[in-house]
Amino acid sequence: MAEVNLNKYISKIQKAVEEWLSQENQVLWKAVQQTVDDGLFSQHDIEFQLSVLRENIANGDIREWVNRSELSDRQNAKGQKVLCLHAGNLPLVGFQTALGTILSGADYHGKLSRKDPHLLASFLDEIGKSLPEKKIHYSTDLEKFTNLKADKVIFAGSEESISEVKEKIRELKAAKENAEYIIRTAKFSIAYLEDWNEETKKELIEAMLRYGGKGCRSVAVVVANFGLKKVKEELEKATREFWELNPQHQKPAPDLQYQYAYNAAVEKRQLWLEDFLIQESEELPDTDFTVNWVEGGEEKVRELKTQFGKKVQSVYSAGKKIAGIETEELERAQLPPLWWKPDGVDVVERLIR
Amino acid sequence: MITLEEIFDAGTSFEKKAVQVFEFQRTNNPVYQRFCKALDIVKVTSLSEIPLLPIQAFKDTEVLTAPENSKSKIQNLEFQSSGTSGMSRSRHVVPDPEVYLQSITRGMKHFYELDDYVIWAYTPGYIENPNSSLIWMLNVLMEREESGLSRFMELGQPMNIAGLKKVQNSGKKLMLFGAAFGLLDILDKGEIRLPEDSVILETGGMKTHRREITKTELHDQLAKGFGLPKSQVHSEYGMAELLSQAYSQEGEWFECVPWMKVSIRNPKNPMEEAAYGEEGLIGVIDLANLYSCSFILTGDKGLQRADGKFQVLGRWNPENLRGCNFLIDQD
Repeated sequence: MAEVNLNKYISKIQKAVEEWLSQENQVLWKAVQQTVDDGLFSQHDIEFQLSVLRENIANGDIREWVNRSELSDRQNAKGQKVLCLHAGNLPLVGFQTALGTILSGADYHGKLSRKDPHLLASFLDEIGKSLPEKKIHYSTDLEKFTNLKADKVIFAGSEESISEVKEKIRELKAAKENAEYIIRTAKFSIAYLEDWNEETKKELIEAMLRYGGKGCRSVAVVVANFGLKKVKEELEKATREFWELNPQHQKPAPDLQYQYAYNAAVEKRQLWLEDFLIQESEELPDTDFTVNWVEGGEEKVRELKTQFGKKVQSVYSAGKKIAGIETEELERAQLPPLWWKPDGVDVVERLIR
Repeated sequence: MITLEEIFDAGTSFEKKAVQVFEFQRTNNPVYQRFCKALDIVKVTSLSEIPLLPIQAFKDTEVLTAPENSKSKIQNLEFQSSGTSGMSRSRHVVPDPEVYLQSITRGMKHFYELDDYVIWAYTPGYIENPNSSLIWMLNVLMEREESGLSRFMELGQPMNIAGLKKVQNSGKKLMLFGAAFGLLDILDKGEIRLPEDSVILETGGMKTHRREITKTELHDQLAKGFGLPKSQVHSEYGMAELLSQAYSQEGEWFECVPWMKVSIRNPKNPMEEAAYGEEGLIGVIDLANLYSCSFILTGDKGLQRADGKFQVLGRWNPENLRGCNFLIDQD
């Protein structure tokens, strides 16, 4: 890619993304409707995700990403085959990886989630129209990637799932024997609250409850200088208000009520919201719809971040930054820039390295 | 209130006894009472309606069933699970040691001609725990055995061959209890031929090592190393939180004593039993836990077959940790 070609290439992508996100785009509108009709995600959550992406594009995040990753005509991933296995825990969760892969110049091969098959497909079709020469291939069927022999594979996994996924990729010969695996293991984020006020409350509610708390940027652990008891009533009221505007799409399994009953049995302080549980606990938050509340200061944040290791995506603060830890603003938890780094890895930078 | 004799009485149906114990514990155990209340469970008429208390409760609080003004308020005995320093341990208060004593002897007699055996035990990792329920159990078995030949083996020492001869000459059979990897440690010092009618009872647990080995491999090695057929290598499934044990005399399939019942529970809905052959959380109803809680949801993974026998497959780990996670069967 000569510099001038790179600019053209980026401009085409920029234009395709803008057109895809356009309020007039009937294809996207239909994809949204189909997703809602299939009961996959709520209209509110999809609209919210799209509004974040529109804001990112309007802010010039694509150019910013190119600059940050030092993508250039000399440094790009042209000629590489990248297989992306997208999860479907929230709407368009795979968008950033797909866009990053295409930006890098690599050939994109995407296994779309059966839980989110329409939205990302509508974007990839739009990109395909703007870049007809570009190799863009997607399917919800992993078997379709048989003998692909990809150079790199990107997916989000856990200790329990990684070996099964790798085994399947090997079996299908979907990646080369020596393919590089870029595996994301971050599962949740931590919020640190020094003080309690209206703004912090609003930011925390958004960070915990948006998408039912299912994204890795969602807050699953709160470390606060005060106990849950102090803010319990306010939190309950604010949660109900949030749900009135953004009804929770998915309901938890009965084991959440079991956890609530267990907490009641051992007299653990908690806020039970039927479809969500906030509990005082320092344990790993390993179930959906649960937030663990820990009373403590910056030192406790450092301790828990070390203890939970790579499962932590981000640490947010509603006030000042925490010494020794990369800290993000709590209000940006669900509003990440396009170039945010899942697991601390810039996907474009990683692909072109 | 249900009596001790009734607990062990084979004439009364398990379900009937369990419903009685449920009512006793729901009324007199504050922890279990709060648990049932939060689940809106008041009266039950069958086993399937009884909620199982997560075993973690024994770490987080005191799980004691004690009617007002009863002697159960006096805490005679307390068992603690093993654990490294800094690790929280389970505490099981046993106000009436007679229940455990009865459960041990009746349980062993259910599976073995107990009076025919001399008991030897090699239990590294347990012996240092003064509150080990396993050690208490072994002491009971050794004390009731009349030959004077029953004993704990010295740690780190090779097997006492002269002692083995004495057992053989006494006309009794040897029952060798041991923590799984402790028994392998003995074999590290060389293969031994136990008298041919001996039984090895491994109690599970990786108290001394972290070797990756399956139960089948373990039993193969024990059988080969001690010169016994595999059918004489048995296992015990027990824990500090339970006063009854299950035994496997048939490969990896465990069978409960008559006053204990295991079911496999759906981890996403512990009130629901998993289908036979399906993996899930091991749930235990142990009626001998009369003065703590008889209805326990363990953290172990297992599966069960139609005759009630079950396998233990290790610890249950949540497979689908929250957040982004590509899962072949779902995505």
